[in-house]
Amino acid sequence: MIFNEEQSMLQDTVRAFVQEHAPVADLRAVRANSSGPSYNLNLWNQLVELGLPAVALSEDDGGLGFGYMGLLAVLLETGKTIMASPLVSSVAAATSLIQLAGTDDQKSRWLPQLTSGEITATVAVQEGRHYSLPAVETQLIDGQLNGGKSMVMDLPEADLLIVIAKTAEGKLAAAVLESSKAEFDAQRYSLMDGRKYSDLTFTQTNVLPNNILGEGANRTAEIEQALDIATVATAAEMVGGAESLIERTVQHLNDREQFDVKLATFQALQHRCSEMYCQLELAKSAVFSAFARLDRGKDIHKAASQVKALANDYYQHISNEAVQMHGGMGVTDELDVGLYLKRSRVCNQLFGDAAYHRQRYALALGL
Amino acid sequence: MSDLNTFREETRAWLLDNCPESQRQPIVKDEQIWGGRKREFPSADAQKWFEAMAERGWTAPTWPKEYGGGGLSPDEAKILQQEMARLGCRPALYEIGIWMFGPALLAFGTEEQKLEHIPKIVRGEIRWAQGYSEPSAGSDLASLKTKAEDCGDHFLVNGTKIWTTNAHKADWIFCLVRTNPDAPKQQGISFLLIDMESEGVSVSPIELISGESEFCQTFFDNVKVPKANLVGELNKGWDVAKELLKHERAMMSSMESMTEKEEFSLVDLAKKTLGADAKGALNNPEVRTKIAALDMEMQAFAQLNERMFYQHKAKQSDPRLPLLLKHIGTKQLQRKDELLLEILGNKSLSWESAASTHTEHTVTRNWAFDKAHTIAGGTSEIQLNIIAKRALGMAS
Repeated sequence: MIFNEEQSMLQDTVRAFVQEHAPVADLRAVRANSSGPSYNLNLWNQLVELGLPAVALSEDDGGLGFGYMGLLAVLLETGKTIMASPLVSSVAAATSLIQLAGTDDQKSRWLPQLTSGEITATVAVQEGRHYSLPAVETQLIDGQLNGGKSMVMDLPEADLLIVIAKTAEGKLAAAVLESSKAEFDAQRYSLMDGRKYSDLTFTQTNVLPNNILGEGANRTAEIEQALDIATVATAAEMVGGAESLIERTVQHLNDREQFDVKLATFQALQHRCSEMYCQLELAKSAVFSAFARLDRGKDIHKAASQVKALANDYYQHISNEAVQMHGGMGVTDELDVGLYLKRSRVCNQLFGDAAYHRQRYALALGL
Repeated sequence: MSDLNTFREETRAWLLDNCPESQRQPIVKDEQIWGGRKREFPSADAQKWFEAMAERGWTAPTWPKEYGGGGLSPDEAKILQQEMARLGCRPALYEIGIWMFGPALLAFGTEEQKLEHIPKIVRGEIRWAQGYSEPSAGSDLASLKTKAEDCGDHFLVNGTKIWTTNAHKADWIFCLVRTNPDAPKQQGISFLLIDMESEGVSVSPIELISGESEFCQTFFDNVKVPKANLVGELNKGWDVAKELLKHERAMMSSMESMTEKEEFSLVDLAKKTLGADAKGALNNPEVRTKIAALDMEMQAFAQLNERMFYQHKAKQSDPRLPLLLKHIGTKQLQRKDELLLEILGNKSLSWESAASTHTEHTVTRNWAFDKAHTIAGGTSEIQLNIIAKRALGMAS
C-alpha cells in the first residue's frame, strides 16, 4: 500500500526527468504536428534508457523487478504533465497480455524485445463509441480476423498490434499482428487531448496460429486481467493529472487577488478545493491498493472497475472545477488546465467509462 | 514475522475460548456494553466477555501495560482487530474514555492522573462525558464562557455545557473552562476533570430528532474542583483539546463499523427488499447503480485508512491524510443511511417499533441520529476549512 525505498527512489528519478524534459509544452508540440508521431520519440528513448519498459516485470521475465508498484510510481509522474508515451498501450496493456496469456515460446519471442524497448506494442479492444469487453464482436475464426476497432493508441509507432476478438465458441482471444506487415485498414486522427488514435478495419486478416496468445488454449481470464492492468494504469495517470490540477489551482488562488484579497481566502473556494483533495486521496488510495494486489499475485477484476469509475468521476469533477476557478484564463488555450480537462474526457473513454465500470462492479458485488 | 503469526494463532484460540457465542452475533444497540459506576450488563455472556477482555487490557489494546492497557504493538493490535472481525466478536466496551479522553490523558496527564484514571477506563469502572460546546460556543468553540476561578486549593466552576453525550449516565466529565478572561480566546482556556457527583452539577437530557436523548445539557453551579484535576498547564487546555479532537474525529470517521453492520449489508437488504431477477440482478437498476457507486467510495475510504496504517508503520505518515477522515467518513455514512431509506420505501417511515421490523426501525432511527455526525466533533464545514488551510496551504 506504500512505496518501498527503491520504488520511492524510482518515483523521484522519473519526477525529476518528467518535470525537466517532458513538461506540458512537450504535449503541445505533439499536438501541433497532426501528422507527426503519437509521442515524442526522443523522450521515449530516454525513458527506455532508464529501463522503464521493464519496470514491472520480475527479473525472471527479464524485468527490473520494481513490481507493479514501481510501474505505479512511474505513471503517477507521467500523468502529472499529461506526457504522451506508450506506457499504457505498450508497457501496461500489451506487455501484460503477452506475459499473462502467452505461451513460453511466445513470451521468449516478444518479451525481451518489449522490455528492452527495442519494440513497442499496442492493443485494439474497443469497438464503436463505448468500450465494452463483453460487447466485442470482432471475430477470430479459422485464423482470420474480421471486424472493426476504434480508438487504438500509438499507431503506427507500435511494432506489434494485439487485437482482442471472439472465437467461434464466443471465447475471448488475443491475436498478435506485426503492424507493418499485417493487412488491415487504418484511419488515424487526433482527439481533443492532442494525441493520435486509429480506427481499424479487419477483413479476412490472416493470423498465424502461433501468433494467437496461448495458441488455442482458453485465455479469457488472463486477457481480462491484462486489460484490467491497462485500466488501472490509465487511472494511475489520471490520478497524477488530477494531483497536478489541484496544485495548479491552489497556486492560482493563492496568487490571484480580487476585492483586495487573495482568492484563496474565500471559504466558498476553500471548501471546493478541500472536496477535490478528498477525492484525490480516495482515488489514490484505491489505485495504490489495486497495484499492491497485483504485486501479491491477485486478480483485480473488481478493483479495476472501482479504480477506473472513481478516477473517471473525480478527474472529471476536478478538471471542471480547475477551469472554473482559473476564471477567464481557464478557458484559454494558453493555460494548461484546458489540456488536462480534455485529457480527462479522453481517459474516461479509454478502457471503459464510469457507467460501464459501475455496472461491472455491481455484477461483481452480486447485484 | 513468525512472532506475529504465533500471536495471531494464540489470539484466535483465546478469543474462541473467551468470547461466548452470543457475543459473536451482530451487535444490537441495546446490547452494547458501556462502563461506569451504574453499569448494567445486558446479559451474563456480555459480562463474561467484557471481564475477559478487560482483564487482558484488550479493551484498550495499545495502551501501556503499567496503566492496565494491553501493551500491544500496532501490528499486534491490528491482528487482534482482524481476528475479532473474523470471528464477529462484538466490541467488549463502548466508552468515550477509550476512544477520546484516554489517549489525550496519556499524552498530557501527570503520572498521578494516569494512575488514577486510566486503569478505571480500561476496566470500565468509570464512564466519561465530554464538556466542550456551550449554547453560545459551537463551531467557535474557543469563545466558551464556562469559568473556573482560582480559589486557592480549588477551582470554582460556573457555567453550562451542551451536547454532553450521555452525561446523565456518566461519572466524570472532562471540560474546557475559561481560567483567564483577559487573554486572547484560545490562550485563556484550561482542561479540567470534574466528578459528576460534585455538589452543584446537574444534567438535563435533550430530546433529539431520532427520539433519543443521548445528548444532554450540563449545568455547573458553584462547583468546587480540586486543583489536582487540571490536565496540562493552566491556560494551555487548548493543546489538550486539539489532541483529543484528533482522536474524536478518527473515532467518528469509523462510526460505520460501530453500528449494526451485518444486518445492514446494503446488497443483502436491497435484494431481500426489492427482489432480483433470475440472474441475481437487482430489480431496481437505479438503486443497483447507487449501491455500486457508494460501495466503491466506501472501499476507497477503507483503503485510505489502510494506506495510512502502512505509512504510520513505516514512519512515513503524511500529516494531511488524517485531516480528511472525519468529513469523508461521516458523509459516506449519511449517504448510506439515505440509500437504506430509499430501499425500505414507506416501511422506513414508521416511528413506532411495533409497526416495523427491528431492522426497519433501527435504519430509521440511525438515519435521524447520524445527522449529528457531520455536526458534532467539528462540523464538516470546519473540517473543510482545516483541510484547505493545513493540507492545501490556502491563504486565510
